[in-house]
Amino acid sequence: MSTMTAGVEQRLLIGDAAHGPLPALTGAEIISMARDAGITGRGGAGFPMWRKLTAVAGTGRPAVVIANAAEGEPAAGKDKALLAAAPNLILDGLQLVARATGATSVHFYGPAAALGPIRALVRQRGEAVELHAAPDAFVSGEESAVVGAVSGRGAVPTDKRIRITESGVLVQNVETLAHLALIARYGPNWFRSAGTADEPGTFLATVSGAVNRPGTVVEAGYGVPLGDLIAAAGGVTAAGIQAVLIGGYHGGWVPADASLPVSRAALTPYRAAPGAGVIIALPATSCGLTETARIANYLAAEVAGQCGPCVNGLPRMAETLADLARRRNRQGLPAEVERLARLVSGRGACRHPDGTARLVLSAMRAFEADVTAHLAGRCLALEGSW
Amino acid sequence: MSDDVLWYFARGSGVVSLVLLTVVVALGVGSRSGRAAFGLPRFAVSLLHRNAALLSVLFLAGHVIALLFDSYANLDLLDVVVPFVGSYSPFWQGLGTVALDLLAAIVITSLLRHRLGARTWRIVHWLAYLSWPIALMHGLGAGSDNGTWWLWAISIGCAVLVGAAVVWRTSASFGRFPDRSERRISPRLRPLTVSTKGNR
Repeated sequence: MSTMTAGVEQRLLIGDAAHGPLPALTGAEIISMARDAGITGRGGAGFPMWRKLTAVAGTGRPAVVIANAAEGEPAAGKDKALLAAAPNLILDGLQLVARATGATSVHFYGPAAALGPIRALVRQRGEAVELHAAPDAFVSGEESAVVGAVSGRGAVPTDKRIRITESGVLVQNVETLAHLALIARYGPNWFRSAGTADEPGTFLATVSGAVNRPGTVVEAGYGVPLGDLIAAAGGVTAAGIQAVLIGGYHGGWVPADASLPVSRAALTPYRAAPGAGVIIALPATSCGLTETARIANYLAAEVAGQCGPCVNGLPRMAETLADLARRRNRQGLPAEVERLARLVSGRGACRHPDGTARLVLSAMRAFEADVTAHLAGRCLALEGSW
Repeated sequence: MSDDVLWYFARGSGVVSLVLLTVVVALGVGSRSGRAAFGLPRFAVSLLHRNAALLSVLFLAGHVIALLFDSYANLDLLDVVVPFVGSYSPFWQGLGTVALDLLAAIVITSLLRHRLGARTWRIVHWLAYLSWPIALMHGLGAGSDNGTWWLWAISIGCAVLVGAAVVWRTSASFGRFPDRSERRISPRLRPLTVSTKGNR
């Protein structure tokens, strides 16, 4: 595995050989341990795991559980690193959620390259797990897209008039499952010894951009100072950084403040969240608006192609932001960006338009000085005034 | 202001309100799961349904308020809410009160739809099928215009419109959902054939 890993805390990435056998727990015990540990989903949304488990267990239908290792975001590498470091913990977690929900239909969904090793491991463990290849696309890991892909309908997000958990299907990120496997062994209190009281436990971050070892996967407790994550990835490059994108392509820009705690609570003022732990450091010499326009353009090309807000709205929003980034000024350009962002939000089958709009709006706020400069035909980053 | 003006206004706004309610009911009958109806695109059906409903409520409010101040109708606040206790033509006026109460329930639940949930809202919304014919009878019976050819013409026209909407809706051709427009799903997300079972 070429991905470099580093740990502020060491739980998941030290491998799975050191952990003893999984204790025999009942479904109710597993759910109450997940509740006491306060573990939330590590795929991005951060939803409390025990509530999903309870909902799926309570539907009264045969449950289906799916481990989700689809990591469509180019700047994310933590699920791949986890698959390499601790695949047994993932499969342990999958068996635990199957037991907690009474599921007999157990699935693993992930990148095609990961299926071979997982297949060998499943065979070795003597378990029945169906494997499914995830297309290498941004939206392929979205919860309803995962269900679609596993059911053979294609990895296309669908409308959620009935919650997926209410239909008896549990989709859980592989990192969340690995954490559960450790909670089952060492208990909720051990899990809570890392992180903050409100956001317990560790998470995997993928740190890239203007750092000396881009792509490093770091494990740390929630609330870890941003500087510690960047230091674990070799520290900032000589050019320095001006801002950091937290939460990935659907995330938000925050100031390059080494003491900023990476937790939902501390990032809320910036309308960002740790999400799936994607951290991108923006070099001081790059224009934040140009970089955001590039990402928005990528996201506009990654739409599933079924909803109007994505098909029509995202390309338009990305082009408008690109015009601002290239200083092709026209009347009311920033207002038009904000209008389009509001227009597409909340109108898709999934949150792809919302996430893209959130990123764009965050750039408009974080690089406000540069927006003004661009309207005057200048660019602060290129002039080196940061 | 003379009583005559109030009396004319009450009658006029009552009739306009009835015509608008008829349009609302016909659009409501014709709309289903956001499908197109009456040659209108589907968003226009629901927008027109809602806007005509709000407008009819406005005229209805004018109708009731005018009668509160009319010395001949002698309506008081109790008559607005409780049916069949009025002094002037209690039965026919009471029908108006019943229709108003039902309509109030429909309006209030529609405003609170996001809190009540679609199921509760829909059940209350079905009261429209009770409220509208009662309002129609109220117009024919209570109004001082009963027996005039134009009120009969309007009332029959309203009944024919709603009846036609019901017939169209219950016809076999309505049940079919319109074809979904062609969606261009990204080919990369299409179903993959690589799906294998890890065996025991």
